[in-house]
Amino acid sequence: MSAATLIARDELRLLRRNRVAVIATVLLVLLTLVAVATSWAHQRGIADLRARHQHAAEAAFKAQPDRHPHRVVHYGTFIFRPLGPLAAFDPGVDAFTGNSMFLEGHRQNSANFGDVRQSSLLVRFGQLTPAFVLQIVAPLLLIFLGYGALARERERGTLRLLMLQGVSRGSVVRGKLLALGIVAMIAGLPAMVGFVAMAGQPGALALPMLVTALGYLAYLALWVVVILLVSALVRRGRDALLALVAIWAVTAVLLPRVAPDIAGAAVPLRNRLQTDVAIARDLRRMGDSHNPDDPHYAKFKADVLARYGVTRVEDLPVNFKGLQSVESERLSAALFDRYSGESHAAQDRQIALVDAAGVLSPAIAIRALSMAAAGTDFAGHRRFLDQAERYRFALVQRLNHMQADAVSYADDSAEDPGADRRKRVSAANWQAMPDFAFAAPSGAVLARAALPGFGIVLGWLALAILLLSLATRRLGGNR
Amino acid sequence: MTLWLHEWRLLLRQRLPVFALALLAALTVAALAVGLAEVTRQRAAIAAIPAAQAEDIAAVAAFVDQKQDPGSAAYYSFHPTWDAPAPLAFAALGMRDVSPHILRVRALGLEAQVWDGDTFNPELALPGRFDFAFVLVFLAPLFAIALFHDLRSGEREAGRERMLDALPVARTLWRRRTGLRFVLLWAALGLPFAVAAAIAGVAPATALAVLLLIAAYCLFWVGLAALVGRLRWSSVANAATLAAAWLVLVLIVPTMANVAINAALPVTQGAEIAMAQREAVNRAWDVPREDTMRRFYAHHPEWADSAPLGPAFHYKWYLAFHQNGDDSVAPRVRAYRAGLEARDRAGRALGWVLPSVGVQGLLTRLAQTDLAAQLAYQDRIRAFHRRLRTFYYGYLFRDRPFAKADFARAPRFGNEPDS
Repeated sequence: MSAATLIARDELRLLRRNRVAVIATVLLVLLTLVAVATSWAHQRGIADLRARHQHAAEAAFKAQPDRHPHRVVHYGTFIFRPLGPLAAFDPGVDAFTGNSMFLEGHRQNSANFGDVRQSSLLVRFGQLTPAFVLQIVAPLLLIFLGYGALARERERGTLRLLMLQGVSRGSVVRGKLLALGIVAMIAGLPAMVGFVAMAGQPGALALPMLVTALGYLAYLALWVVVILLVSALVRRGRDALLALVAIWAVTAVLLPRVAPDIAGAAVPLRNRLQTDVAIARDLRRMGDSHNPDDPHYAKFKADVLARYGVTRVEDLPVNFKGLQSVESERLSAALFDRYSGESHAAQDRQIALVDAAGVLSPAIAIRALSMAAAGTDFAGHRRFLDQAERYRFALVQRLNHMQADAVSYADDSAEDPGADRRKRVSAANWQAMPDFAFAAPSGAVLARAALPGFGIVLGWLALAILLLSLATRRLGGNR
Repeated sequence: MTLWLHEWRLLLRQRLPVFALALLAALTVAALAVGLAEVTRQRAAIAAIPAAQAEDIAAVAAFVDQKQDPGSAAYYSFHPTWDAPAPLAFAALGMRDVSPHILRVRALGLEAQVWDGDTFNPELALPGRFDFAFVLVFLAPLFAIALFHDLRSGEREAGRERMLDALPVARTLWRRRTGLRFVLLWAALGLPFAVAAAIAGVAPATALAVLLLIAAYCLFWVGLAALVGRLRWSSVANAATLAAAWLVLVLIVPTMANVAINAALPVTQGAEIAMAQREAVNRAWDVPREDTMRRFYAHHPEWADSAPLGPAFHYKWYLAFHQNGDDSVAPRVRAYRAGLEARDRAGRALGWVLPSVGVQGLLTRLAQTDLAAQLAYQDRIRAFHRRLRTFYYGYLFRDRPFAKADFARAPRFGNEPDS
């Protein structure tokens, strides 16, 4: 048996005898199990609820009576963001974004009813999820168990004794690394077991799960190395503990809050009121359907009449009002795309700034990795928003075309008592409308999105290992 | 007094406490600056409303004036509402980043509008804001731990404890030493806060309450450190125990309680209200219009003497069924709100036993950035919406034309009539 293994065994035996260490480890394991169970139950509950709501919304849409197509444009439809299986591991921004959207003509509504506005103030203290336990809590446990690994030996003079007996510095450090690494594995194991259990769900993808598992492995390994590094460098055990807790507080608690605030101040977002007013202004410039003398709509009308070779809209074989609706929806949707594109680009820039802060705090990097792989980051929400807008536009235009083809211009303009009946099209049309189906991203897309965070964590790990090997060479030297 | 000075000099010679206090003061100043900047940004956004609004409403007025239909005016006019930050909001930004503080409404069904959100980046909101409340609730205890974990054990490990205890003034010495560190801890948080509060124009009584709150919260952690110190463990064991206590009290119990509260107090989902309201509103197109008007007049008899509907479309019918839609979900809205309040109450109740939650709850209450403040804003929106409806009904149900000049007569948010 090598010296390193012996030292690892000895360290683990010491930890086993340390009642506080054992209790703390057991508590962490229990906490992780609770987190896995509640988070999973929560995710399943939400997924069921949203599926039920989605079903109810689709049923309501299809159960509509005979209606004028434009009524259906305003009746609109509700869609709900589905939740991927890995959201049970890391729900990311799910609670902070609205998860239901009302889709209707002429308007782009916000996603509403996020959990953050439906929960008590405690929601801002963080969410108990396996990801939270691994990112924030587990490193602190490792600090408590490992800060003294080398500092203690030096403080008590046992390090010299070991070296006098011919144990190399490298063996000592490797042994301690092994021991603390095993503790880290024990701490991370329940979360990984839950992770694998979640993988049994339909829709779970191998590639992002692999990146997530490797990412957390590297993250915990990084903490193990950093703990030993500080323990090797600092003269007293107490100083090692305080320094490590300070490093932890700065990287895991402070920076993840400071970075977003800086990013938010650096890249301001246009608020909804200003966006709506700007869209209305642009819309008026492009073509004002309320203005009878508007050049855009005058030209549009002339073009339509010329295309059909008639001189009056009444003589068109199609309903001109429907065509006008198609045109006005086309114009407004283009503006919605432009403005939401600008807003999303600004938010992406904010997130890029925060991600850059991952260079200072591996906790930020692992969070980005974890959310990206789970598809619960802003990019995941944006996928939903983009698909929702595409679906909204297609649905509204289908209805507008229906108005053009199935409702005659004469009926549409009539106001006699029977006109309301003649304007309506058959309810069978609503049943023929396709439902919203969220196209989930492929595993490769999610895994690729997680790579930058993974790279940063690996870079940190490499740097820490390098520093530890340098510190090892000077371990136990005269001071 | 000289003894205090000696104690002060002694403290200055130690690296850890001096560094910790300086860092805490720096973090406090940074957090206050972030908070003040954020509140300034919110105020600027509110100050920018009138210009944008004037442009928007002028365009609506230009085209409505052609036919002078009050219904078109009601349909196309969005009216701004806003929730200006309270003077203390900079200290605890609370929910203001995830709930809108500007919302435009029109005289149509309010339940389809009042739950809308503003644009915000969820990834930035997720970790919580770096505000004074965060520094106080999350970080200050760590600094208290750094300052107090070895107060006695440090002297013991240096071999001086017995000698110090043998002094006739031992008790006052320990009291003085604890007192000095406590005052400095409090000052590192309180003095920058007091300056920021003066800049922001916080009422003296409120600022004093916060200063007392800071003292009480610090006292809790100092007391906890003293309790742990009584066990006569080593400095290292004290530090580890206190840090573990911090982890449990500030991070773990609140997150677990959040799960428990949300599971124990289910709320009817807001989305269900929105769907029910839409169903109620749109059904009006498929039922006799007289039924809609009868229902509306039953709830709002003051308009019942309006002329009967003709065969053509009339906006008073349109607005009536929107109001009916709101009325039909009113019980659900009350239940939803009661559910939110129950969750909030449960969270606050936890504050009685958990200082971290208690301080956060009190600060956001004083700063008017909590759920109660959001709901109060909603109440003001609802009251304003009532005024809006009544204003447009006055034209619609009396068939008065709505000219350009009438746009200026519309109610404005914020200047409620004295009644």
